[in-house]
Amino acid sequence: MGYDTLRIGHSTRYEKGSRKSEVGCQKIPETSNLCPSTSDFRLPFIILMQMETALDTLKKFIFAVHPLQPEEWEAIAGIWQPVQYKRKTVLTAAGETERHLYFVLEGVQRAFYVDAHHPEATLVFTYAPSFSGIIDSFLTQLPARYFLETLTTSNMLRTTYQQIQQLMTAHPNIQSWILKVTSHAMRGVLERQIELLTYSAEEKFRVLLKRSPHVLQLIPHKYLASYLGIDASTFSKLLATVRIG
Amino acid sequence: MKTVNSATLIDRLQNDTRQILVRLSHLRQVDPEILAQPPAPGKWSVAQVIEHLNSYGRYYLPQLQKALDQSDCPANATFKHGLLGNYFTQSMAPKANNRITHKMQAPKGHRPPVDIDSKTVMDEFEKQELWLLELLNRARQTDIGKLRIPITIAPFIKLKMGDVFGFLIAHHQRHFVQIDNALVMQRAGAPGFANKK
Repeated sequence: MGYDTLRIGHSTRYEKGSRKSEVGCQKIPETSNLCPSTSDFRLPFIILMQMETALDTLKKFIFAVHPLQPEEWEAIAGIWQPVQYKRKTVLTAAGETERHLYFVLEGVQRAFYVDAHHPEATLVFTYAPSFSGIIDSFLTQLPARYFLETLTTSNMLRTTYQQIQQLMTAHPNIQSWILKVTSHAMRGVLERQIELLTYSAEEKFRVLLKRSPHVLQLIPHKYLASYLGIDASTFSKLLATVRIG
Repeated sequence: MKTVNSATLIDRLQNDTRQILVRLSHLRQVDPEILAQPPAPGKWSVAQVIEHLNSYGRYYLPQLQKALDQSDCPANATFKHGLLGNYFTQSMAPKANNRITHKMQAPKGHRPPVDIDSKTVMDEFEKQELWLLELLNRARQTDIGKLRIPITIAPFIKLKMGDVFGFLIAHHQRHFVQIDNALVMQRAGAPGFANKK
């Protein structure tokens, strides 16, 4: 496993054929912290079971990199809500400040940049198990410069900036974990920058297939081509020739 | 009238607003001259359509902000659409296959002139949409069924906040269908446009 797993979009821990939930996580209505809601909050048993499985996945993911003390884990476990989104839902728009951090249980998401003078660019893919959200906007609380959308139906755990802040203040070891994860994400981003600047189209293509072979089935090819910084026709040519190699 | 889950409604309205922002960002890639040209005699250019949307935002967004600032109603998990508010929303919204129904002439004060700068109007619309997203976030903490907003055509008629958000956004969606249609018309090689990007 190792630090590779922390690079969003380059995770090598994705297991083919991992069990998909038969019953999707049901969205729990977000309540105001100020006033009690008037609805009934008894969770159906099956949703409680799925929450347990989800938290278990999250725990393994975190502990693989940075083990926590039991009370620290208890604190982290308590801040998440399960959420589910249809495909092609825009979670965050450019110009908005990211309020949420997601942990992906199922589905694929993509971050993309559009401006007046350049073709749309796909920046990042996220899929289970990894974190998602517009991370630089989340951590800095500055407006996002790009969009985040779901490409497929997505089941995720979601928390807020306030909750993460509270956790980090109360538990220095959790802040250490966040720093570690962020540092390794940066490492992944810079490595990707090297590849984008120096590798040929074919080299980039091969590296993607080696790291994440399943993406060809998961993600529309036009987005993969954009992510690699190669045009769609070159991508198709590579698909035909390289795949057999 | 239908009762819905408030948080789910606000989620949907925020997603709809973000979708509009994605479409706006793609619109910015179109040649500004095309955006400023009426696609056919008597029809609004894309820039005019956006300015029409801006004119409503200039009224409704401050009203919504004021109502939220003054509110001390706690959130309600459910929201019941008002009769009139729901009617406005349904008549605004594009139907299946992007059909527009209930065509009407825009009221005075919301008919933009032809000579407007497309970038200026798009910049303002983007600010309005981001403001709208913030208002929707704030609205999660209050009762969108209790707060009421007067409408532009008749200030003595006050509609529920949840419905005002609803028809405002349906109105945006309606006009973005119009924008798509205008661009199709222009690309289809109407005289003068055939060789433009």
